[in-house]
Amino acid sequence: MDHPQQFDVIVIGGGHAGTEAALASARVGANTLLLTQSIETIGQMSCNPAIGGIGKSHLVREIDALGGAMAQATDRAGIQFRTLNSRKGPAVRATRAQADRVLYRNAIRSAVEHCDNLAVFQQSVVDLDIEGDRVRGVVTQMGLRFEARCVVLTTGTFLGGRIHVGLQHQPGGRAGDAPSNALAERLRALPLRVDRLKTGTPPRIDGRTVDFGVMEVQSSEEPRPTMSMLSTPDVHPRQVPCHITHTNARTHEIIRSALDRSPMFTGAIEGVGPRYCPSIEDKVVRFAERPAHQVFVEPEGLETHELYPNGISTSLPFDVQLDAVRSIAGFEGAHVTRPGYAIEYDFFDPRDLDPSLQTRCIEGLYFAGQINGTTGYEEAAAQGLLAGLNAARAVAGEDPWCPERYEAYIGVLVDDLVTLGVTEPYRMFTSRAEYRLRLRQDNADQRLTAQGRALGLVDDVRWSAYTAKKRELERGTAVLAGVVAVPGSDLAGAVVDATDEPIEKPVSLFDILKRPGVDVVGLVGALRAHGIAVEEPVVSQLEIDAKYQGYLQRQDEEIARVKANEGVTLRPDFDYRGISGLSNELKDKLAVRQPATIAQAARIPGVTPAALSLLLVHAKRDAGEQRRA
Amino acid sequence: MLAREMIAAIATPPGRGGIGIVRISGTGLEAMLRGLVGRVPAPRMAELSDFCDADGTAIDRGIVIYFPSPRSMTGEDVVELQGHGGPVVMDALLERACQLGARIARPGEFTERAFLNDKIDLAQAEAVADLIDSASTRAARAAMRSLDGEFSARVTEIDRAVLDLRVFLEAAIDFAEEEIDFLADSDAVERIRAVEGRIERLAIESRRGEALREGLDVVIAGQPNAGKSSLLNRLLAENRAIVTDVPGTTRDLLRADIEIEGVPIRLTDTAGLRAGGGRVETIGVERARTAIAQADLVLAVEDATAVAPGGTTASESLGDVAASRIRVRNKVDLTGEKPGDGGGVIRISALKGDGVDVLRAVIAKIAGVAPGEGAYLARKRHLNALRAASDRCAAARERLSEGFGDLAAEELRQVQAHLGDIVGTTTVDDLLGEIFSTFCIGK
Repeated sequence: MDHPQQFDVIVIGGGHAGTEAALASARVGANTLLLTQSIETIGQMSCNPAIGGIGKSHLVREIDALGGAMAQATDRAGIQFRTLNSRKGPAVRATRAQADRVLYRNAIRSAVEHCDNLAVFQQSVVDLDIEGDRVRGVVTQMGLRFEARCVVLTTGTFLGGRIHVGLQHQPGGRAGDAPSNALAERLRALPLRVDRLKTGTPPRIDGRTVDFGVMEVQSSEEPRPTMSMLSTPDVHPRQVPCHITHTNARTHEIIRSALDRSPMFTGAIEGVGPRYCPSIEDKVVRFAERPAHQVFVEPEGLETHELYPNGISTSLPFDVQLDAVRSIAGFEGAHVTRPGYAIEYDFFDPRDLDPSLQTRCIEGLYFAGQINGTTGYEEAAAQGLLAGLNAARAVAGEDPWCPERYEAYIGVLVDDLVTLGVTEPYRMFTSRAEYRLRLRQDNADQRLTAQGRALGLVDDVRWSAYTAKKRELERGTAVLAGVVAVPGSDLAGAVVDATDEPIEKPVSLFDILKRPGVDVVGLVGALRAHGIAVEEPVVSQLEIDAKYQGYLQRQDEEIARVKANEGVTLRPDFDYRGISGLSNELKDKLAVRQPATIAQAARIPGVTPAALSLLLVHAKRDAGEQRRA
Repeated sequence: MLAREMIAAIATPPGRGGIGIVRISGTGLEAMLRGLVGRVPAPRMAELSDFCDADGTAIDRGIVIYFPSPRSMTGEDVVELQGHGGPVVMDALLERACQLGARIARPGEFTERAFLNDKIDLAQAEAVADLIDSASTRAARAAMRSLDGEFSARVTEIDRAVLDLRVFLEAAIDFAEEEIDFLADSDAVERIRAVEGRIERLAIESRRGEALREGLDVVIAGQPNAGKSSLLNRLLAENRAIVTDVPGTTRDLLRADIEIEGVPIRLTDTAGLRAGGGRVETIGVERARTAIAQADLVLAVEDATAVAPGGTTASESLGDVAASRIRVRNKVDLTGEKPGDGGGVIRISALKGDGVDVLRAVIAKIAGVAPGEGAYLARKRHLNALRAASDRCAAARERLSEGFGDLAAEELRQVQAHLGDIVGTTTVDDLLGEIFSTFCIGK
């Protein structure tokens, strides 16, 4: 039967991509339906119970600035918070939280249920209704047909999912859940390139059977950072520590002697796993000289004893898992609550998507999350938000919003996916962002809130908080730029005490902030004593701005060039072979990659400045000929 | 119009011409003009002015013309400084332009910008592309020749050392929680200092290498006894302005610097090309082949008494050569052929001097139209890149000791970009791949 309601946008999947997609679509006014196999698992953290981390919290802050749910949900569910890279410079500073799975799921479900324009329906989707090259709707297991203008697929690891434990394997989308095979079959029939990836999880452990006394303790940091710009630490639940232990020679011996029963090493798994998140058997083989590997023992929540031993994901047979776990310090008497496993799943080559995350071949069909070959909750959520937003904009007849690489990590993520594709599950790292000095988590709100507001994603509460902060920063800048410390004056004396560097000629307080090793608290105190009122958080933010100013200006020139190159398009059937002066290797690469613009071509490894000049000249001539023709 | 960085180059052919022109193109030339001539001249008016150094002393006195965008050669703001020709003045002017924010133009870059700003017809695209291509090849060749032979190998080695450092710094940033043997910041500072030292040593050694070899590299090649040395002597004897007469670094390459119509020419006489000689001769032939490979122009000399006019020519026996070549048929005084240019061959008698004036005219013509930059500009560009790379190393050390690992990493990225400019590769490298193959990563 046909469902009587009509929707603008249908989102399939209730994970991190799906929920952000549905929320974004609904927030900007599209009549949205979230279809999930199970309402109970909306917002489920299928892998490790942590959100954020280096490069990832950058994404979370951007999602937050664009009105997404992930950051505030993390603040409500986080049971241990830490700042990473606190001593390496603000651009790479990151926040990570261990989250209580139940609290997190509840926070996300609550956000979904309280969102206007958003309906939820529980049923597995088995078919897409496609007419010509346009999506019309979806069909569920019981034959129920939903009509929609746009469909966002966020199916995670469920497409053709296959779970491996030892040499046994079975279909599955996540331990305990069935895969979406009918939908996988349907999608494989579309003109999209499809391949397999692999990921894994460790065995889980009952905390009551663990000796924490022999482990290193890692507690929440105080004062506690928050994930969302709108949160304060008051919303955090009770905090509990993580622990760290290590594998040892015996663990490695147990694993080595069982490699003949490993699906990884016997070839039963064909999918490619991530290099940065190898299974323990992989680490033992590839880094044989290492006597020990770290294991982060992460609590799964406040109301459970279950632990997630991060660092020993494995697909070895269960008897080996058990022996290996029990060889680790503190785990000698451990009871394993769930076996570890590897999961292989279908993903679609993201180069078949345009930068709005719409498939190039089917109008109105969007992909987000692991289906695009990424890994990680944060990467999924970021794509979900973008796909949901753009689906809703398409329904409204508006142009898609595609942030640039110099505007947001979301831009880096999507551009990497649609131009370079993936060879392993894609995870964000700060080193992927060539403009990471400007893409800081401390300025995510300043970079994106105004854009989010214009797009309709940012509500009044967030907007007024943002504008208030912005006013404070502007006021602070004006105050600090306007006050000049003259050598020998009282003010200069007080400033010198706070900065440990002499003042030899008159200098504005803003320029003082550019100096290394400024004691912000001391400086704020010194200024207050002189009747200059600026708040410490404001000065801290301005200190970063001052120190990065020179670098950002230099990058502006680079960005201007990139912008110009974005404007020069290359036709997909552009004849690279006809360009003399390009190496054959480069001609092949360009013909295969088919960059859409000169800027994309410039990012292909091996493209030299001279080659780029040649491309520019030929692209311009090509455009001229097209115009004439 | 897009804001473009300023580029500068010497626009006149190399040599000691009476007037030399330095051309600068880009955005923001008014500050440049104020620094150079103390004012912004009226658009498109030739004005006499001192060209000033940073301390205000005059480098030279000449004509300055300012062409504001879009009515200029490139379509951008352009400044032309017409000064006294000669390498010292031109060098000083170029150096000053760089000091004021310009960088030395890549080969063909002025033309490229002119094309992109619609100053050159679309129909000429092919020619522009060819120019960029051939100019780059030629410039690379010229630079390699003018610098130490191992120059690019050493740059590549240093580039690798920088990459290794970046692998450490980036891994420490992106995988802060892994148990990796990260470099302590103080060790990283030391390693950056070491790289900086290597860059500086290379720059110093390259600077004090032999005097600039400017102009056209012309190699005389051919069968033994074709009269190559006689031709060299003839060209030398007729040349009133012999600059130097350097014996070759090897016993079988003879070099001499001459000028033809004001264009400096570096002549190299090579061993006769034939197989099956003794060991010493084989080495000589190898060196001859190297010289031919690096040449701008090859004079392929054949013996008119030994080769029939349509026979296998010396030119063909050279094999595949990148440079232009002129087929020269020597000893026509013995065969009675008419000296001069005809049928793609120049007939001469090196002994009597017949036809050599025609040959000189052809060489001068090729020297005058040879595309792209000469060795001087290429080398200057490379030395500037080395200097910039070493400055960035110093900045990286400072940022690191101030606790800004992210800024230090950015500086090192720029170091690699500068080194990449020299060897012509991009540094969009697989940094993450290097990290994964170097360290055990994986939580």
